[in-house]
Amino acid sequence: MKDLIKRLTQVSSPSGRETEIRNTILEELKGYIDGYEIDKLGNLIVWKKGKSGEKLLLDAHMDEIGVIATYIDDKGFIRIEGIGGISPYNLLGSTISFSNIMGVVGVEGETLEELSRNIKDLNFDKIFVDIGCKDRESSEKLVPPGTFGVYYSPFIDLGERLVSKAMDDRIGCAIIIEVLRRAKPYHDLYATFSVQEEMGLVGASTVAFNIKPNMAIAVDVTSHSDTPKGNKRMSLNLGGGPAIKIKDSASISDRRVVEKLRSLAEKNNIPYQIEILLRGGTNAAALQTTGEGIISGTLSIPTRYVHSPHEMIDLRDVENAIKLLILLSEEEEVLI
Amino acid sequence: MYLKELTDISGVSGYEKKVREFIMEKIKEKVENIKEDNLGNLIAFKKGRERKKLMISAHMDEVGFMVSNIEEDGKISVIPLGSVDLRAVIGKKVIIGEREIPGIIGYKAIHLQRDDTLTPPSINDIKIDIGAQKKSEVEGRIKIGDFVAFAPNSMIHKEWFSGKGLDDRGGCSLLIDLINKDLNLAYDTYFVFSVQEELGLKGARISAERIMPDFAYVIETTTSGDNPEFSQDRRSTELGKGPVITPAHSGYVNDERLFNFAIKVARENNIPFQIKRRTVGGTDARAIALSSGAPSLVISIPSRYIHTPLCVMNLSDYENTLRLFSILLEKEVE
Repeated sequence: MKDLIKRLTQVSSPSGRETEIRNTILEELKGYIDGYEIDKLGNLIVWKKGKSGEKLLLDAHMDEIGVIATYIDDKGFIRIEGIGGISPYNLLGSTISFSNIMGVVGVEGETLEELSRNIKDLNFDKIFVDIGCKDRESSEKLVPPGTFGVYYSPFIDLGERLVSKAMDDRIGCAIIIEVLRRAKPYHDLYATFSVQEEMGLVGASTVAFNIKPNMAIAVDVTSHSDTPKGNKRMSLNLGGGPAIKIKDSASISDRRVVEKLRSLAEKNNIPYQIEILLRGGTNAAALQTTGEGIISGTLSIPTRYVHSPHEMIDLRDVENAIKLLILLSEEEEVLI
Repeated sequence: MYLKELTDISGVSGYEKKVREFIMEKIKEKVENIKEDNLGNLIAFKKGRERKKLMISAHMDEVGFMVSNIEEDGKISVIPLGSVDLRAVIGKKVIIGEREIPGIIGYKAIHLQRDDTLTPPSINDIKIDIGAQKKSEVEGRIKIGDFVAFAPNSMIHKEWFSGKGLDDRGGCSLLIDLINKDLNLAYDTYFVFSVQEELGLKGARISAERIMPDFAYVIETTTSGDNPEFSQDRRSTELGKGPVITPAHSGYVNDERLFNFAIKVARENNIPFQIKRRTVGGTDARAIALSSGAPSLVISIPSRYIHTPLCVMNLSDYENTLRLFSILLEKEVE
């Protein structure tokens, strides 16, 4: 499992540039699925047949946040803009990989006072990426404007806790891959690995239109509350079990999805948490409003430091999410 | 090129009728099929060599205002349609409603302002003055709900064009030129003149859902940043440097394949082009991708001072954008 998570998180595929992660996921699924399709936007749709006649859809987005090179100056420094919700504060001092060309992030400041001021009110105008080139021509050859980059951040194995860039949402991809590998589904099991979630739920807006599932579950990361002075208005602990989402700022999970997951977890002694996320959203919001509407919810993995180069998850939550979703797909009862 | 005619027509969001009628006249003989949908989008069709569907769109609407009330003293209060740059509208001439009644956008004089010269005027304090002293003089001529558009003001000076509403009549003019050029189209091509882009990408969404294209191009007129106060690296785009090819903007990373294809075609044909250096602002490309799932790309003509009563364009950019699209529409996407 750790190897799979490592492999998926280390792939560089920001929103709109998902080819590499799509190929990686397809490779990992080889021999475990009955078919697949890639739609016009680049979403990967796979399926495994069951016998109930009902369809269960699991979705994870395969893109990650990143940056785009917009301009190169005479000395070869690269200006960037964000792709998805990437913070200049996290970029400061980080390493960026532009298709394996490495760069480090610096900040402007002509006096010490200006430097402190810039850091205090940091934005994309004040930072630049240095790829070690001395002039425009050599930089442009390696990173032409329009090139996409992601955090360079190695996979760190801390035992039960794992750290990497792009846990959001490769951890969801890993969970769904494992479900597809292990489950003997009673319901037709569809999985979508969707594009451009970080740009505003782009891929998920159309991906389920033709599938018309009876129930859809987005598997994504969520926040945490268990760090020093962590948010006291929520309760989400690493290792406390996968989180069954009630609500976030983009959607309210369908009660039937919530109750189904909760009763399955309880019946089978799988630890779980109930999630109310104060800010953020998942593809469930786009799935809910697809076609004539899809009964949707989200199963989340509590994650620390989301959208930073070092997103941390707990492997037990991942294993329990897999168990729960396998039970859901195999349970010989009507889905809805 | 119909920049002069098109920018001198009033067509704020939701009131695109006159623009639509003008375009209809110019293209109806040149297309195989043309229709107006329920929202007011104009969709013209031409057959191509292959049975794949390409949608190419430009929006007809421009930013402006709508009459929200007629006050006791005969002044007219308005609400904005789209994100009008309120710093730039004071003292400008407008025309109001179907009867095209002229008016002036009023605000307190600079002599009566103190610290508030530093902040943009509030829409609550902006009133339109049509030369009336009381409500009864206005009633009967102007009613609540009438559109308020910047008055026609086009000018051409050498290779420079200025006028209101270049965003996106520039794109509309270019789309008409493309229709009239009798290109050897690669795909079945739907030319869409959309409504209400400035109110949240409304028209294009509906057209795309109806057409269900395999790919889509959007022609926009986009903001330039070649003002002296910006250093080179912060200039979103610059005039005179060719069509703007957009890698990503608010809410959508433009399709990688179309993006690379457009750059390749521009390079092969020695057409100057620029990559957009900012990602703020959205376009119909997001609406098209979200509603129809079609991979989309925006290519824009750069323009200064958009969303004000006077936008400025360099005609070489118009010509080069037209050249680029003329080739793109004839080629199969690689």
